[in-house]
Amino acid sequence: MSQTTIWIVIVGMAAINFAVRFLPLTIVSRIDLPKPVARWLSFVPISVMGALVASEVLRPGGVWSNPLTGPSLYAAAVTALVFRFTRSFVGATVAGMASFVVLQHALPLILS
Amino acid sequence: MLSSDVSTHPHIEDRAAGAALHGAPVARFRRGLALGFPIFLGYMPVGMAFGILARTMGFSVFAAVVCSATALAGAGQFIALSFLAAGAGPVGVLIATTVVNLRYVLFASTLSTYLRDTPTATHAALAFSLTDETFAVNVADHRQGLATPASMAGVGAVAWTGWVLGTLIGAVGAGWIGDPSRFGVGFAMAAMFTALFLALAEDWRHVVIGVVAGAIVLGLPLLGAVGLRLEPSWYLVIAAMLAASIGAVVWREG
Repeated sequence: MSQTTIWIVIVGMAAINFAVRFLPLTIVSRIDLPKPVARWLSFVPISVMGALVASEVLRPGGVWSNPLTGPSLYAAAVTALVFRFTRSFVGATVAGMASFVVLQHALPLILS
Repeated sequence: MLSSDVSTHPHIEDRAAGAALHGAPVARFRRGLALGFPIFLGYMPVGMAFGILARTMGFSVFAAVVCSATALAGAGQFIALSFLAAGAGPVGVLIATTVVNLRYVLFASTLSTYLRDTPTATHAALAFSLTDETFAVNVADHRQGLATPASMAGVGAVAWTGWVLGTLIGAVGAGWIGDPSRFGVGFAMAAMFTALFLALAEDWRHVVIGVVAGAIVLGLPLLGAVGLRLEPSWYLVIAAMLAASIGAVVWREG
């Protein structure tokens, strides 16, 4: 692959990525949004997060698999419990990753 | 804790947060660094994966690091690599990454409602570091009444550092690192999203909307069975917009 192509892509991506983030942020912050639009936007974060959790936990890597035989669902439960009781993002993330590694090795032994 | 009292009575849980609320911008920035640390943990390994992959695609170490440092677009960068690998020209690659990153229009519009009296230069800095993860952390922080532009900048800085540092390590060590998945990094993002979901769920309406979004995002790939094939990067945007619309229609008041 030519270095020219690579650099065109790098510069173009930088410009586009900044534009799609900056323009809405700075334009919308200057106008008074109609109430229904504001309410709709207030529901966007939880919707995004629900969709992200569902696809990451139940369809990891964009591939269907049985959630009961893989580590993701159980590791997510561990993550949720740790967060529920500690309110710590770091603690919950690390606990989730650790339980994922353990389950990755332990589940095949348990289920076989 | 799926309680609504977090938003209605923003009780400060620890002294650090209390100091940050009334403290100097530097203290708020440092609080943001701490808040964003899980993002750092999640980005490092994914950044490494990008660095390794970019090197195998003919990127120099410098090019891989500059790409991560200026684009800060996880999925967008991986898609650029896969399009390049498939022989697409620069225009095709740029269109593909733009489509994947259109969700930021949605995120930026939501975030802008917290940044009404903020100078344009600050908008630029915060827009630059806007990702799925920084967005979620800042929204959760805002719900507690604690987010300020300085704390958001801290979250963005630590996330950016994790992504760029990970890319550098991956690009330099491409030959001998091997598969980073053995450290459980495949689950880092999923774990963070799970915790963030709980943090964002203010009350039962939010839980319902989140579950609806999850159901839609899992249902969309099934449309392929009836011949309606969508680009996978659209699943998230469509699911989020639909679920938020359903919420906004069902709960018109409040």
